[in-house]
Amino acid sequence: MLEFWLELAKGPIFRFSFALCVLGLARIVMLSAWGAAKAYYAAGDKELPYSLIWRTTIHWLFPIRMGLRNRPFFSIVSILFHIGLIIVPIFLFAHIQLWYQGAGLWWPAIPRHLAEFLTVTTILSAILLFLARVWSSASRHISRGQEFMWPLLLIIPFLSGFFCSHPAWSPLSYNAMLLIHILSGNFILLLIPLTKISHCILTPFSQFISELGWHFPKNSAKDVEITLGKQGQPI
Amino acid sequence: MIPLLDQDAILRAKANTKKPETMEEQGLRVRYHVENPLKGGRAQRFLEAFAAILKHSSYGLILEQYVRTSLKCARCAVSCMLYEATGDPKDVPCYRSAFLIETYRRHFTLAGSLKAKLFGDPGLTDETIEEMADSFYNCTACRKCVLECPAGIDHGLLTHLGRYILSEIGITPRALVVSVREQVQGKTRNTSAIPIPAMIDSCEFLEEEIEEAKGAKVKFPIDQEGAEHLFFAPVSDYMMEADTLCGIAAVLHQIGASWTIGTKNFDGINYGLFYSDIIMDRVLNEIPKEVKRLKTKKVLIGECGHASRTAKVFLKTFCEEGESPPVVSIIELTHAALKAGKLKLDPNVVTDRVVYHDPCNMARKGWIIDQPREILRAFCKDYVEMTPNGRENYCCGGGGGTVSIDELRPYRTSIAGKKKAEQLQETGAKLVVAPCANCKKQLREVVDDNGLDCEIVGLHDLIFRAIILQENDSPEKTPESTIPNE
Ligand code: HEM
Ligand code: SF4
Repeated sequence: MLEFWLELAKGPIFRFSFALCVLGLARIVMLSAWGAAKAYYAAGDKELPYSLIWRTTIHWLFPIRMGLRNRPFFSIVSILFHIGLIIVPIFLFAHIQLWYQGAGLWWPAIPRHLAEFLTVTTILSAILLFLARVWSSASRHISRGQEFMWPLLLIIPFLSGFFCSHPAWSPLSYNAMLLIHILSGNFILLLIPLTKISHCILTPFSQFISELGWHFPKNSAKDVEITLGKQGQPI
Repeated sequence: MIPLLDQDAILRAKANTKKPETMEEQGLRVRYHVENPLKGGRAQRFLEAFAAILKHSSYGLILEQYVRTSLKCARCAVSCMLYEATGDPKDVPCYRSAFLIETYRRHFTLAGSLKAKLFGDPGLTDETIEEMADSFYNCTACRKCVLECPAGIDHGLLTHLGRYILSEIGITPRALVVSVREQVQGKTRNTSAIPIPAMIDSCEFLEEEIEEAKGAKVKFPIDQEGAEHLFFAPVSDYMMEADTLCGIAAVLHQIGASWTIGTKNFDGINYGLFYSDIIMDRVLNEIPKEVKRLKTKKVLIGECGHASRTAKVFLKTFCEEGESPPVVSIIELTHAALKAGKLKLDPNVVTDRVVYHDPCNMARKGWIIDQPREILRAFCKDYVEMTPNGRENYCCGGGGGTVSIDELRPYRTSIAGKKKAEQLQETGAKLVVAPCANCKKQLREVVDDNGLDCEIVGLHDLIFRAIILQENDSPEKTPESTIPNE
C-alpha cells in the first residue's frame, strides 16, 4: 500500500506539482513583464536610473553587506536558511539521480556531508526564524498566518529527508518517512506560485518595478479627474 | 539602542487638540484639521477613486508586485524614525503599507475577492479609512525604509498613493489645501498669499541689505525677458529666509548669471507631491507658461527639497513633449561655480561647528549629496557629519508636507523629530545647514521644543556670510560650461 502511494507521489503527483509550480511562476513573471512594459510605454518620463536599480538589485540578491547593519541576527539566520533551502533540493545527489532516471537530465551534485550540514543549518535556522518572528513585537504584529506557517512547513521536507538518509534515527519506517518527505515537498511546490514564496522569482525585478512605479503616465492625473467627474472643479 | 519615548510623552505628542464637536460632526477623528471630508459611504467612494486611479496610472504594477512579494520581514521597522521613537507596531512601515496592499488584494484581485466570499470578509470599512488617514500623515514619505526592504517595496510611494486616494474623499489636511487653493486659483498665485508688490518690495529691501553688508550692487531681476534662468524659490523664503535669498542673489551676481523672477509665477512649492497627482500636475503645468512668457531657457529652483524634486523629476512626466524646460538646483549651480573657481569665500568667517542635514527629496536617490558638502568644506573651519547621512539620512521629521500642519507640531517635534534631535545633539554643531524651506522650519521647531543649542540656516545663508563680492556693474555673460545642464 505504502509502495503504491510512494510511486504515485514520486511520479504523477510530483510531475503535476512541478509543472504547476513552473507554469505558475512563468505566469507571474509574464504578467509582471507585461505590466512593466505597459507602465514603461505610458510613462511621461522614460529615463530610469538603471545603474542605481542594478546596484540595489544585486545588493539584495547577494545580501552580504546588509546583515551587519540591521537586524543582524535575523539576517544571518535568514541567509543560512536560504542557502540550504535553495542548494540542497537542487544539488542533492539522490534528487539528481531521480531526474536522471525520469528525464535523463544530469548535473553535478554537492558532497553528501555538505548536503547534510546544509540540511541541519536549514532546519535550525527555520526554527530560529520562527522564534524570532514570535519574539519580536514588530514582526509579530505585521505577520499573517502564512508568515508563521512557512518556516515550520519548510522544516518538514528537510527533517524527513534527513531521517531518510539516517534511517537508524528515524521514528517511522523508511517508506513512511519518504512519503512524508515527497508529499510535503510537492505541497510546497504547489504553494510557491500562490503565496509570498513567489518572491523567489520576483525579487530580482522589484527594484526596477518600484522605480518604474514613480514614473507616472503623462495623462494619468487628468484622466483620473475626468473619470471621477471632477475636471474644472475648484479646489 | 536609544530608549523609546515613554507612554506619557507619546500620548502628549499625539494629543488631539481639535474640538470634539467638529470631529463628531465630520465623523473623522484625526489630529489635523480637515475642511470638508466626505460623510457617509466613505469606503464605497474610496474604492471608486482607487479604481479610477488604478485604471489610468501605473500604481497597479507596484501593487501587483507588492501583493505577491511582501515578506513581512520587519527589517523596515528599524529604519523608520517613527518606530524608533515609539516602538509601536503600527509605526512599522510594512504595517502602514499593508492598508493599501490588503485593500488592493481584497477588492482588486480575483484570489482576494474569492477568499473574501469564502470567509465572509466585509472588505474595506470606514474605520480602516480613519486609520489610514492617521497613518499616512504620521509617515513623512521620507523613503528611508525603502533602502531596507529586501523585497524592494517603496513604502513612501504607497503613502503617496494612500494620500492621493484619501484626497478624493475629501480627507487632506486643511493647511495643505488652503495653500494649494491660493496657488492654483487665488489672486496671488502663491502658497503664502504674498501680494506681488510685497514680493517686489522685499526684493528691493534685500538689494539694500546686500549692498550694506557686502558693498556691492546686487540685483533681483524681475520679469526680465530672455534671461537664462527663471528662478523659483519656495515662496515662504520671501518672508522668512532673507539670508538664503541674499546668498543666492550674491552667488548669481558673482558668476554673472542671467536670471529673473517672474511675477506671474514665482513659487516653487508644489504640495501636489504630498497629496495628489492631480494637484501636482496642475501646479507643474503653470511653470512652462511662465518660462514661455519670459522666454527663459531653464528653471532654477531655490533651496527646497520637494520643490526641486517635483520640478526635476515630474515636469518631464506631466508636461507636454518639448514643453518641459531643463531644471537646475541652485546648489548644483553654486557648486559648479565653486569648482570653476568663480566664488571667493572667506574661510575666517564661519568658525563655529557646522553640520549638514540632507533633505530627503534631494538625497534619497543620490542627486544632491556631495555638492553642498564640497561647498561647505571649502570655507567652514569646523565641518562635521552626522550619522547616518547622505542617501541614508533621517528625515527632519516634517517631511511630506507635515511641517505646514501646525496642529501636528507636538507630534513632529517629539516623535517624528526625535531621531533628528539626537543626531544634532551628538554632533555638537552650532550651525545646522538645511537647504530646504520645510526642513528649516521643522528643524527650528525641533531645536526650540527640545531645548537644543544650535542655529538652523540655509546653505546660501552661510555662503552669504563668507562671500567676497566684487563691484560688478555689467556682469559678463557666464560661459555655458560653468552651468550644469539640468
Ligand atoms: C533566489 C531566490 C530567493 C531570494 C532572492 C529570496 C530572498 C528572500 C528575502 C530577501 C527574504 C526576506 C528577508 C529576510 O529574511 O532577510 C526572504 C524571506 C523568506 N524566503 Fe526567500 N528568497 C529566495 C528563495 C526562496 C525559496 C525558494 C523559498 C522557499 C521555498 C524561500 C522562503 C522564504 C521564507 C519562508 C522567508 C521568510 C522568512 C521569515 O520567516 O522571515 N525563499 N527571501
Ligand atoms: S517613509 Fe519614512 S516615515 Fe514613512 S514609514 Fe518609511 S521611514 Fe517611516
